[in-house]
Amino acid sequence: MQLESETRLAKAAHTRRQLMAASCALLGAAAARGQEARVAPADSGLLENWSVDSALAYYHEDGRIQAIEPVVNIAKLFADGQALNFNVTFDSLTGSSPNGALTSRSAQTFASPSGKSSHAYTTAPGQLPVDPHYQDDRIAVGGNWTLPVTRVDQLSVGAKLSDEHDFFSVTLDASIAHDFNEKNTTLSLGISEEFDSLQPIGGAPVPGSDYALFEKTGHKSKNGVGALLGVTQVITRNWVSEFNVSVDRFKGYLNDPYKITSIIDSAGNTTGYEFESRPDQRTRKSAYWENRVALGGQVSTGLSLRYMRDDWGVRSDTAQLHLRWSFSNRERYVEPTFRWYRQTAANFYTPFILNTEALTTAYEASDSRLGAFHALTYGLKYAQKLPGLGGREESEFSVRVEYYQQTFNVRTPTPAALQGLDLYPGLKAALVQVGWRF
Amino acid sequence: MADKASNAPDEALSLEPRGEDLLAICFTAMASPCEVLLPSTTAPTAALELGTLVAQEAWRVEKKFSRYRSDSVTAWIHENRGTAIEVDRETASLIDFAGQCFELSGGLFDVTSGVLRYAWKFDGSDRIPERAAVARLLPRVGFNKLQWRSPRLLLPDGMELDFGGIGKEYAVDRAYDSLAVRCSAPFLINFGGDLRANRSPPHGPWQVGIERPDTDRRATMILDLNHGALATSGDSRRFLLKDGVRYGHILDPRTGWPILHSPRSVTVAASSCTEAGLLSTLALLQGARAREFLEEHGVRYWLLQ
Repeated sequence: MQLESETRLAKAAHTRRQLMAASCALLGAAAARGQEARVAPADSGLLENWSVDSALAYYHEDGRIQAIEPVVNIAKLFADGQALNFNVTFDSLTGSSPNGALTSRSAQTFASPSGKSSHAYTTAPGQLPVDPHYQDDRIAVGGNWTLPVTRVDQLSVGAKLSDEHDFFSVTLDASIAHDFNEKNTTLSLGISEEFDSLQPIGGAPVPGSDYALFEKTGHKSKNGVGALLGVTQVITRNWVSEFNVSVDRFKGYLNDPYKITSIIDSAGNTTGYEFESRPDQRTRKSAYWENRVALGGQVSTGLSLRYMRDDWGVRSDTAQLHLRWSFSNRERYVEPTFRWYRQTAANFYTPFILNTEALTTAYEASDSRLGAFHALTYGLKYAQKLPGLGGREESEFSVRVEYYQQTFNVRTPTPAALQGLDLYPGLKAALVQVGWRF
Repeated sequence: MADKASNAPDEALSLEPRGEDLLAICFTAMASPCEVLLPSTTAPTAALELGTLVAQEAWRVEKKFSRYRSDSVTAWIHENRGTAIEVDRETASLIDFAGQCFELSGGLFDVTSGVLRYAWKFDGSDRIPERAAVARLLPRVGFNKLQWRSPRLLLPDGMELDFGGIGKEYAVDRAYDSLAVRCSAPFLINFGGDLRANRSPPHGPWQVGIERPDTDRRATMILDLNHGALATSGDSRRFLLKDGVRYGHILDPRTGWPILHSPRSVTVAASSCTEAGLLSTLALLQGARAREFLEEHGVRYWLLQ
């Protein structure tokens, strides 16, 4: 919907009412009062038939993982306001994934998680240890049903399933939304429950156990519960703002079964490794604020901020800005985006363990995703309208590219013997996605 | 209304089944195919009776207001230019409505703009008129130049009144009212694409097909209608093309020249067909701003560029 200045819209609404009144006077039709035509328009996808949104993405990390991801989302809106939505995502990832160990001045050899000798791999001196046989295919399906309960209340329930060869997850969620203040304000409350089952290749390691001993136990699981409270407010005709706070708590086996931490001596030599050991509970709280502003006929912008903290000591801030510029009579648009992210390390994050301390540490993990880093993402999207399929008015084709750059901020002092090595290389990644919505 | 003269309405009504659930009573009026859709459980005699009600109202409105008929009220008004006459209540309310639309549209919607057809012949050629020819006609255009105080009208010499812009939609609404008092079943009245329904039949919403004007690649668009009216205004078949510029047949009455960059067609949903028709016409008159106009006014619309 085009958002215009308040006086212009108010004037148009006044004119509309006068036109309606003039028609009513002409027809003397009492039936016109309070009853509007309820029609499902074809060109915004709200039709008895399903509207389809499909995309194919290719993701590539410099020297690491690459992934292909096709996604299909189909939606149907019914005349009484009920809505149904299904989506299917398929991910195929291959490449090299850091195993958490520290770069060393000597070569290092690792067993693969499966224990197969053919998959053992060696890392050259001075290189970051990565498992080059990383491979994972994932399929995820999700569905959501929205039901208007009264003219101002909506109930929504959803479910998601995700399956990979070593991980299976089910999430259920429900939310209610209430409009008031002439639909200028919407309050929503949601809850969700997640059940995850892990079947790591070769078994789940005992947390904190010695890598060489390969102590594995069987399948593991974790559960999470979450709640969200949000408010969306139309502030002016040009500016819509949404604010929400959420909390979630996960319990169970929260370790990454494939990550290890290097144990080093005072000379910087790696003397051994141990599997990571994370607490079996994690509570996260976050606050999110999003703004969408129309700057004129062709330009709109959005700014969102997110703050998160958890009881592992991780705190993160995200700021995201996008600008959409439409041209050729709204037939096409370009949308540059920029995202800034910063995260502090978990309390028990440590890139390595000094062998004199090994026994005193309760929890430890060297997974870089729990470390301190900041990341910048630059993106550009181009979309244009195309003829529609079947009885549709039009469809939209889009192409999006993104460049992601992550830099670590490790506070742990580097042991003298390892000075000069690039211990915490960052990550550079690019994404290209083409999409078609019809 | 009709673009070609029709001296007598086609008096034949035909009954046709439409799928398993519906029955259509078909006839021709205002040079358009017209139909009334009723549930297939309606007895044929009752269906013909109801269809006749609708057809008679369509023919009545056509006969009364068509500028092509010598026995219409429009013809009588034109015969009496320059003198004050007293019009009947129905004509008076149409002229009142035209006046309100003239005010609300800032002069874009003008039932006196028909004289411009003497300069513009939209036959697909490149013969656009001389500026002087159009300028000479402008003094004969302008609703504000009428002397109108209901029910007394004085149409100045040289001026014309044309209800063609709202006639078909008005006929739909009048037919709807006369049918609604007699028929409690769900029904849909469709006069050549301007239509209105009272409520949806039990099997689901009415499926309305909107034909795309220049059928090249685009198929018919299907909309679901529960109740209310739809009207379509279009610009496709009659135009002039000169030096790569397309002159559509929608003229700005204030300048006498075509509105440029209008969408090819606009379909609007509203509670009455007259209101829907007016909004779709006003949207086309906005030219490139058609979409903005429709958005600002909170209208449900479908637009084809």
